[in-house]
Amino acid sequence: MTRTLPMVRLALRNLRRQARRSILTAAAMILGGTLLMISLPLGDGTHEDWIESAVRMGDGHLSIQAPGYHASRKIEERLSAPARAAAEGALSRPGIAEYIVDAAPRLATGGLASSPTGARPAMIVGVDPVAEARFSILDEKIAEGRYLEPDDRLAAYVGAGLVEGLDLRLGSRFVLTAQDADGEIAGQLVRVVGIYRTGIPEVDQAMIHIPLGTASSWLSAGDDVTTIALAIDQSRRVPRLARALRSDLADAIDDGSATVLTWRQAMPELDAAVKIDDFGNYIWQLIMFGIIAMGIVNTVLMSVMYRKREFGLLQALGLTPRQTGSLVMIEGLILTTLSGIIGISLGLFITWFFWRDGLDFSAIWDEEWTFSGVVMDPIVFPMFRVARIVQGLVFIFLIGSLASLYPAYRATRIDVAEAMKFDR
Amino acid sequence: MNDRDRNTAAVRTEQVWKIFEQEAEEVQAVRGVTLTIEPGEFIAMAGPSGSGKTTLLNLIGGLTRPTRGGVWVDGRDVTAMSNRALARLRLERIGFIFQAYNLLPVLTALENAEFPLLLQGVNGGERQRRVSELFERTGLAGLEDRRPGKLSGGQQQRVAVIRAVVSAPALVLADEPTANLDSAASD
Repeated sequence: MTRTLPMVRLALRNLRRQARRSILTAAAMILGGTLLMISLPLGDGTHEDWIESAVRMGDGHLSIQAPGYHASRKIEERLSAPARAAAEGALSRPGIAEYIVDAAPRLATGGLASSPTGARPAMIVGVDPVAEARFSILDEKIAEGRYLEPDDRLAAYVGAGLVEGLDLRLGSRFVLTAQDADGEIAGQLVRVVGIYRTGIPEVDQAMIHIPLGTASSWLSAGDDVTTIALAIDQSRRVPRLARALRSDLADAIDDGSATVLTWRQAMPELDAAVKIDDFGNYIWQLIMFGIIAMGIVNTVLMSVMYRKREFGLLQALGLTPRQTGSLVMIEGLILTTLSGIIGISLGLFITWFFWRDGLDFSAIWDEEWTFSGVVMDPIVFPMFRVARIVQGLVFIFLIGSLASLYPAYRATRIDVAEAMKFDR
Repeated sequence: MNDRDRNTAAVRTEQVWKIFEQEAEEVQAVRGVTLTIEPGEFIAMAGPSGSGKTTLLNLIGGLTRPTRGGVWVDGRDVTAMSNRALARLRLERIGFIFQAYNLLPVLTALENAEFPLLLQGVNGGERQRRVSELFERTGLAGLEDRRPGKLSGGQQQRVAVIRAVVSAPALVLADEPTANLDSAASD
């Protein structure tokens, strides 16, 4: 410690002596840190938006289903009433309940929607109108009429694509046909009470919401459901909550009557999209910091070459070559860490100050843009996470260390006698 | 020369050579020098420019390694030491005074003077005591907080002298310490 302090003092004084060079190097790192802390929260916010939209249109951040249902989408693979009760019991446990924002039970099956004009394949979803209106964003996509209400019995909320295909309008009646829980083909007459338009063709042309009670009696499913969709407060809690639910439902999972799926498992294409986008961001950051690192190597190396005599003197006074190299490392690390902290703070401040209420991309980003079955919101809200700040600091510290390594090595290789030569 | 003599001499060189390769040409800077300096002895070397005085001092101080021959300082074989051990030897046993530009420009006169003590881990009070006494004796009292750039050449060399002797080394190597000074400062 007694020998480290004079080195730190020397390093600080050297940085101050070469103020212009230090400021230039620091400016590059500050710019890098600022851009990093603008791009990371906005990138995370975009991903959170994708995930939020996708889970609200789909089966939630987490879903409890019968094993095999996710792949088959057949009513045979459904949660029995006891398994459903066990799942609902788990959802009310402390450690889980406080993070569940919405839960929606659904009884869904593939079937046929027919009108006098023709027939179309459909995904028919029996929903609790109140729970579903809270959970899903489908009720907000209303084009005509209204969403389902608790007292509805033979009502149907239908996509605009299907309405056009079957030549339906508000109040039109049509027939749903599907295989029921006993394996028999069963029909159900329903009336259009609302028409929605999401902008996603595969949803608008196929998905029909009907009341859960109607679906249960039509499909002879009793209290069984195919899915309990769960929305939680933040997507990053998914792994922990999935573990908690799996441990709570261990018996039902072991006997094959239930399974817990995360959004990553349920929507692997979205998971891949988030990972690819993150990877792209990392590559961009790597290139940016690579260029910054080159600048730092250049300035620090110049400084080492310029100060050969000084390093020679230090070694003549008793510093080992390694200590001389450490001095260069300390200078590089102090400079990069300080400028990294300033850059990160600046980036966070700019992001918070200008875009905390959302950054609007609607000028360059079509409002109807869909991706992986999700309509993308052109307003991106930055997401601030301590882990990202720590990650940014570690990254900058690593870049600073790597960029100082070669100049430090050169400082250890200085020929002391040569460096101390006096030119008259 | 027996082992006992090598161990008691402050400096001993034996047939020491230093040959530099310069553009495919060999320059024999030091040719077979054998000398012994006893503890307490004051030795001055004289010779024209380029005669190898600085190179010999560098060999003794372990700043450069001989092409052949042996160098012992305080009984220790300098030629067999690692760079780390040589640095340690310089820190604890040798004080250097160079011709010019001797001081670290970012440290004050006081900090420059006490630098070896700081590296040796000597505590603040002791450092202060030793350095203040030497500043008084060399007429530099009152200039402790000045940076080298604010001192005259003579004052800078005196600070370098203080730094060379402050840790009471076994050997002080001074390479033309007054070469860059006017006659008044040299005295």
